[in-house]
Amino acid sequence: MTTLALNKIEKRYGATEVIRGVDLKIDSGEFIVFVGPSGCGKSTLLRMIAGLEPISGGELQIGGERVNHKAASERGIAMVFQSYALYPHMSVYKNMSFGLETAKMPTAEIDARVRQAAEILQITQLLDRKPKQLSGGQRQRVAIGRAIVRDPKIFLFDEPLSNLDAELRVQTRVEIAKLHADIGATMIYVTHDQVEAMTLADRIVVLRAGEIEQFGTPLEIYNKPANKFVAGFIGSPKMNFFDVTVTRQQAGTTTLGLAGTNIVVPKIDTTVDAKLCLGIRPEHITNDAKDGVALADLTVTHVEHLGGQTIVYGRMADGQSINVTLDGQRTVHPKDTLKVGATLDNCHFFDAAGQRLG
Amino acid sequence: MTDATHKSAFDAARGAGDTKKPSLIGRTLIYCGLVVVSFIMLYPLLWMVSSSLKPENEIFSTTSLIPQNFTLEAYRRGWNGLSVSFGWMFFNSLVISVLVVIGNLISCSMAAYAFTRLKFKGRGFWFALMLGTMMMPQHAVLIPQYLMFLKFGWVNTILPLVVPKFFAIDAFFIFLMVQFFRGIPRDLDEAAVMDGAGPLRIFLKIILPLSMPVLATAAVFSFIWTWDDFFAPLIYLNDIEKYTAQLGLRTFVDATAQSDWGALLAMSTLTVLPIFVLFVLFQRLLIEGIATTGMKR
Amino acid sequence: MSVTVTSAAKAPLSERLNNQLAGYGFLLPWLIGFFVLTLGPAVSSLYFSLTDFSLMGSPNWVGTENYFRIATDDPRFWTAMNVTFTFVLLSVPLKLMFALAVAVALDKGLRGLNWFRAIFYLPSLIGGSVAIAVLWRQIFAGDGVLNQVLAALFGYEGPSWISNPSTALYTLVMLAVWQFGSSMIIFLAGLRQIPQDMYEAASIDGASRQRQFFKITLPLLTPVIFFNGVILTIEAFKAFTAAFVISDGSGGPIDSTLFYTLYLYQEAFTNFRFGYASALAWVLVVIIAIFTALSFISAKYWVHYDD
Repeated sequence: MTTLALNKIEKRYGATEVIRGVDLKIDSGEFIVFVGPSGCGKSTLLRMIAGLEPISGGELQIGGERVNHKAASERGIAMVFQSYALYPHMSVYKNMSFGLETAKMPTAEIDARVRQAAEILQITQLLDRKPKQLSGGQRQRVAIGRAIVRDPKIFLFDEPLSNLDAELRVQTRVEIAKLHADIGATMIYVTHDQVEAMTLADRIVVLRAGEIEQFGTPLEIYNKPANKFVAGFIGSPKMNFFDVTVTRQQAGTTTLGLAGTNIVVPKIDTTVDAKLCLGIRPEHITNDAKDGVALADLTVTHVEHLGGQTIVYGRMADGQSINVTLDGQRTVHPKDTLKVGATLDNCHFFDAAGQRLG
Repeated sequence: MTDATHKSAFDAARGAGDTKKPSLIGRTLIYCGLVVVSFIMLYPLLWMVSSSLKPENEIFSTTSLIPQNFTLEAYRRGWNGLSVSFGWMFFNSLVISVLVVIGNLISCSMAAYAFTRLKFKGRGFWFALMLGTMMMPQHAVLIPQYLMFLKFGWVNTILPLVVPKFFAIDAFFIFLMVQFFRGIPRDLDEAAVMDGAGPLRIFLKIILPLSMPVLATAAVFSFIWTWDDFFAPLIYLNDIEKYTAQLGLRTFVDATAQSDWGALLAMSTLTVLPIFVLFVLFQRLLIEGIATTGMKR
Repeated sequence: MSVTVTSAAKAPLSERLNNQLAGYGFLLPWLIGFFVLTLGPAVSSLYFSLTDFSLMGSPNWVGTENYFRIATDDPRFWTAMNVTFTFVLLSVPLKLMFALAVAVALDKGLRGLNWFRAIFYLPSLIGGSVAIAVLWRQIFAGDGVLNQVLAALFGYEGPSWISNPSTALYTLVMLAVWQFGSSMIIFLAGLRQIPQDMYEAASIDGASRQRQFFKITLPLLTPVIFFNGVILTIEAFKAFTAAFVISDGSGGPIDSTLFYTLYLYQEAFTNFRFGYASALAWVLVVIIAIFTALSFISAKYWVHYDD
């Protein structure tokens, strides 16, 4: 069931378009992550859903009802801010009860809700403290607690982990995932970190320059990136892109020229002499190619030994750079020549405009 | 986080002095210089206080700052030196100053909140005008204001001294508060919006409680400047029963001429005393207040 | 910020009205104050300045006659100008120099900073009060403290500095300079904002302390010097209390401390020449405006801004 629908949502500041007609339908109980480089409009989009930013065009529906002009507090949503935005002069308890008091809820019910939320988040012993007396992780929990007490249909998270150190970030990420599993509410989560996106999301919205580039499950996006931007943005290390030229079109196959080598692949809808882009993730390139396509030989320029993996940086005969992530520990040295290849289903083809082919 | 905003001007760079530290000789010279300047600066005040505690004949016979024959006689003479007791005039000053503090705090914080947190047409225009009024000398509006208050029948009452303050007439305090409010993270307002709070509730429950340092600064400055003010009471208050301490003191100068310096200095000391007490209590706030207005524009 | 809005997305009237209402609601006290206590009076005083309005009768239009008389036929105006400008041009630079020198001395990371800062600030907090004017009058009187000290130290019998027309004004300049504390605090805050690593870089480059002061401290402090200068100048033009108390409201001896504001006060509230006094007030406004404008124009050439 659709709980949140965006129809041609737009945001303009004067003549500058920040969000350009975003369409999105989110099902009840889904965990959605908005991901994209900084300035892509992901936070603006979230703030428009929250009601903190006026909508310049289009329609926003929550539970089938148009809410473009509904006050933020009446949309049935709660938000966890990047800075947590805890009220510094109020105790943890007051921070959590403030919204309920504003809504003139009976004191007994406020108390019950605050204590229940505190229980869930294991912050009961902190209720009398001021935010100043809490650690970063504890503040994070209080911020989430403040959202939970309102019993919202939709939770919004604006880069909530960016102020935590690396270890705590992983831990909190797991807790947010558990929280989602426990309370089952719809959650929308903004981040620029693709690992957070991949690990948390039921479905990911990849944004660039105010437009949706792709909307799908993490694996759909990883396995079938809709275009070169998404392919490059999701995955680490970044996908290799090779310039290839179509040399021959035959009945069932297309032949591509890459650095003096011919690669024969199943028929692509293109023309001879067309310039295409071949994308292969570093982890999909191997040096013991059995089946699949053989790529041009690479000359190693630099090697990184990570223990579990070996990352090889190199160049092909025509100077195009190529990165390869090999499993395990390998004896590879700069200036070595490596024979590499990849299976066909790990090869992505993009046309000159960057759109996926096939 | 508010602590950080208001302490930063001075404490952030606290460690900064270390590498600037001059040699031992240099330091000694600087210390000596500072001590001498301090003494010259403070001498008039010390002399005032000590003379007020001396018998009349001792004031001019010795330059010593320590009274040989300690007496409060001058205070007794001064206190009742005019047809109305100084106590009454102190009370008048206190009433006016407290009312002005209340007026300034309410009206200026409201204006500063509108200028920093609310979106409405013409906000930039009004803000520029507000800054403009800070430059404008009061003299240009003095006479019409006087005639207006005369028409209201307010002359020779405290109303002309107090009522304007409830209309945010002291732009300086608006400016001071604007600077502080800008330092309060906007996320807090937005969190409160998500919590269903309207502008009034955000103002009362979020902004004001977080602005205690600047409200205290504005209150203390308001009080001191009103207590010290001479010009406005001079124009608006005619009857001696309505006089402020400052007006009383100045009348006392005329009444005693040069004949009773002891009493005059005793009353001078008394009129300065409340300011001195506030200064001792709120020194840090006042100094930071001054530094803030000068530094952030 | 104007946002172009498509008709579909236009917020309902009530919502847009609410924003305006909240804004203007909070601004209302200030707006009333601005119109009733500032703008209205400013306009009427401008009008009065073009009339012969006095306590005697209702205002009659006289055009620019008041201004003409101020410029050509009012020796006391020129005396007041002379006194005021002397006061401004002496007290402001002296105060600035003093404030800067003491601030730099205090910024050396010495112990007892808080004490010195407090001591130096105290006079500027109480300096405007009548008590201090009374005290000043005593200090510089014929049998005052200053002469007592001079007699004790040098055996010099000083005159009454206050009742001598050639020295009276300078006692007031000294009173102003005595109150350098608040400027000093602003300088101190400014000095604290100069990044320490600039000095470290400079000393690695071999710059001496003097050179560091003139090449780093002073240029980076010019915005603060400018700010202080403008504020002090405007304040100095408006000085009143001390001159009034010390001279018993006369501006004497022989008009030697006739500050502009004092003359204005006499015309308005002793002689009740409201029209003429209004014209004097507007002349002061214009003078201050010109001074401020000149400062801002000159600032382009000597004030260093980062951005």
